[in-house]
Amino acid sequence: MAGVLLSEAEKTFILHGVQSDLRNDGRSKQDYRPMELELDIVTHANGSARVRLANTDILVGVKTEIDVPKPEKPDEGKIEFFVDCSANATPEFEGKGGEDLATEISNFLSTSFNSGLSFDLKSLCILKEIQCWKLYVDILILECGGNLFDAVSLAVKAALHNTMVPRVETMAMDGGNVDLQLSGDPYDCWRLDIKNVPCLVTLTKIGEHLIVDPTAEEENCSMASLVLAVTEDGRINSLSKTSVGSFHPHTLTEGLKVGTEVGIRLNKALKEALEKEEKRLQADKPERSGFLK
Amino acid sequence: MPVDNRRIQGPEVSFPYCLFQQSDGRNKTNSNPSNLLTVRKDGRALLDHRKIYMKTGVVSQAKGSAYVELSNTKVICSVFDPREIPNRVEYSQHGELYCVLKYAPFSCKTRRAHQQDSEEKELSLNLKRALEPAVCRHEFPNFQVDIYVLVLENDGGCLAAAITCAGLALADAHVPMYDLVTAASLGVTGDTMVMDPIEEEERLCSQDVKEGQNHGLVTVALMGAHTQITQVWQTGSMTSTCVSDALSRLIQLCEETYPIAQRCLVKSVVNTISKKSTS
Amino acid sequence: MSNIRIRLASERVNPSLTFGEEGAPQLFTPGETITENQRVMSGHGTYMDEDNKEVLRASVAGTVERVNQLICVRPIKCRYMGEIGDVVVGRITEVQQKRWKVDTNSRLDSVLLISSVNLPGGELRRRSVEDEQMMRKYLQEGDLVSAEVQSVFSDGSLSLHTRSLKYGKLSQGLLVKVSPSLILRRKNHFHNLLCGASIILGNNGLIWIYPTSPEDESGVGGFTQNLEQVIDKEDRERIARLRNCVLALSASKFMLFDTSIQYAYEESSNYSLKELLAPECMLDVAFRTRHRLQSYRDA
Repeated sequence: MAGVLLSEAEKTFILHGVQSDLRNDGRSKQDYRPMELELDIVTHANGSARVRLANTDILVGVKTEIDVPKPEKPDEGKIEFFVDCSANATPEFEGKGGEDLATEISNFLSTSFNSGLSFDLKSLCILKEIQCWKLYVDILILECGGNLFDAVSLAVKAALHNTMVPRVETMAMDGGNVDLQLSGDPYDCWRLDIKNVPCLVTLTKIGEHLIVDPTAEEENCSMASLVLAVTEDGRINSLSKTSVGSFHPHTLTEGLKVGTEVGIRLNKALKEALEKEEKRLQADKPERSGFLK
Repeated sequence: MPVDNRRIQGPEVSFPYCLFQQSDGRNKTNSNPSNLLTVRKDGRALLDHRKIYMKTGVVSQAKGSAYVELSNTKVICSVFDPREIPNRVEYSQHGELYCVLKYAPFSCKTRRAHQQDSEEKELSLNLKRALEPAVCRHEFPNFQVDIYVLVLENDGGCLAAAITCAGLALADAHVPMYDLVTAASLGVTGDTMVMDPIEEEERLCSQDVKEGQNHGLVTVALMGAHTQITQVWQTGSMTSTCVSDALSRLIQLCEETYPIAQRCLVKSVVNTISKKSTS
Repeated sequence: MSNIRIRLASERVNPSLTFGEEGAPQLFTPGETITENQRVMSGHGTYMDEDNKEVLRASVAGTVERVNQLICVRPIKCRYMGEIGDVVVGRITEVQQKRWKVDTNSRLDSVLLISSVNLPGGELRRRSVEDEQMMRKYLQEGDLVSAEVQSVFSDGSLSLHTRSLKYGKLSQGLLVKVSPSLILRRKNHFHNLLCGASIILGNNGLIWIYPTSPEDESGVGGFTQNLEQVIDKEDRERIARLRNCVLALSASKFMLFDTSIQYAYEESSNYSLKELLAPECMLDVAFRTRHRLQSYRDA
């Protein structure tokens, strides 16, 4: 992560703070920093969202295109994640610098969407074996202030919630060809079901304690962290260790418990925010706040 | 994904014929998943693991190498001397591990391309994360150790086999390490847990069942002497109690494999000594 | 355990405090003509037009300051420009021969020569070759120091010294970074605040908040770092609250000095520590602080 340098004394201060459950900014171990959400801010995308978590700023756009289903899964659509760590965020991402991080995030996202229980790819099928929707989820990291995984997943879930897939009718086949008819009304769309889409929760180990939403300084103090994809009803859809360092089995089981709990709260918070934002967008001319701060 | 045009990749659209084979009468196990679990193909009980075979020093040109076999899963790993990290301006205090996991083109049911695909990249990253904590990386600052893993045959549990194999190869290459790493995998589908699943069972576990049911795969890597989990990787969807249950079972299996890995290393030392004394 | 809340971008709070009766100052943008009067002198942040020698233009965005004939533009946002005698807080970035490179948030790296620090053993101690080899033992990369600007080189980089007991390596505490222009220049930049914590307001915008040590003053200087000491929770709460107050004031672009920080700390008592991270509460604290300072000034 962004090159933060800390002295031993500062690290000790942070470590002791975590031990007494009072972090440098006054949060307890399981508190998030203030977050901000906005939907539908990119006109050309089918769905978009922007999430700001303290100094981390993520913009996600979803584009839908028509594709041919995979032969091994003829009745399923496709979803693909691309993460772009732009050099705007930190000069370290310049050139190939952010590539490893980007693949790590996008791979983890696709693993957590892999199960049919997190996202129903079957709903994206238009005509079995012949046509399906493909969702391109493009994730742009505009600013990077720690805790990327969580912020990215929130933005992805929000953008998918906002995505409008046009209604398509398939017409008679002639000679094996399909005729797709798009409704003339641009508002004739359907929404994706995001109920089971997981949010990612990063648990960072400092000393023997696990904290959520670490700042860049706290990330610097930690050797190991764990990412969990947690759904609304507390199921774990994917789990992985993401940094150097290892866990004692005991810490890990505790992490599972804490992570699920936090994940449920996070999903709930997002749901509330999405409902509120949705209401606002239905107003006549909703104002747009735009990017960054 | 950008495509490398310099390499001839054959016709772009070709499908493995196995996809169309499902209705075939002989392939009963595939079409009837419940069969697969009442009697496992190799006759094991659900929580039994496969026999494991390990050997070090199999590649003569490499600094260290190892071979691991879990019945039909066959993995080979070579480790090369530390070398300076290429294209790096900044000095890094810790050495790096450069891990590449590759499936041989003929290792799976469907043919694998020569280039690393995203699945292989993900497995490589998981492999790296599993090994990093075990290696004394401060002893070779600004250097990297190359670890290449080739899956010769995949019949399930290849990440686990790769981690165990790479751990052995690192030890064989005399890279300073805190501990040996052993790994194991487990599949869950519905209420059943399948220890050390073969490929068909893995596929069954990745398919979702009814809503609210557990399914998925868990792989755990463990440093036996320190009881530290170096990597845990779970896919699918399950409750946290199910995950922790799987964890404790896997830790037990990893601990069982640990002495085998130790014995394998001791044996290779004894062999070298006896070879030297006879010559 | 508090609930997680995600706010909407539309509810965003504008952190700026409205200007009082004075109104907003006039701002110049780079390239804008300041004056066409020939008799003025061009100062910092301005340049004479090449073609038209009479026109003076701004080269940075900011407000104009005029001293007789000399015209300067004071930038609204800038990196730190050091002046001799300033108190700064900096982080060691490199250990070199006979000197340390220090990041002081200024345009160029600053240096701290081994000859301008007090090594253990008194002021008059001779510096030996061993000392040079032991430099990393005194200060290593990442360490924080408080220091004074000794001289400014012609290229603008700074030379620091720590030859006083109040300067030296910083021990446990936390660092807050604000814009250097928000730090009010004062006689004293080391404060033991009434609330029970201490603060160093570096002129370079780096602020160090640390627990007040019982033996006063002497606890700061030198090269000791107490890593065993565990700061108790009350001290920690005070430090965290101070941090959040400083950030609240800086978000509203409010000048930082001992009184304003002390007032903000007192005004923040309505809110819990976590609430202070929310923008509305931050604005409220800044607003109340301004109000209190004004009423104090009027009285």
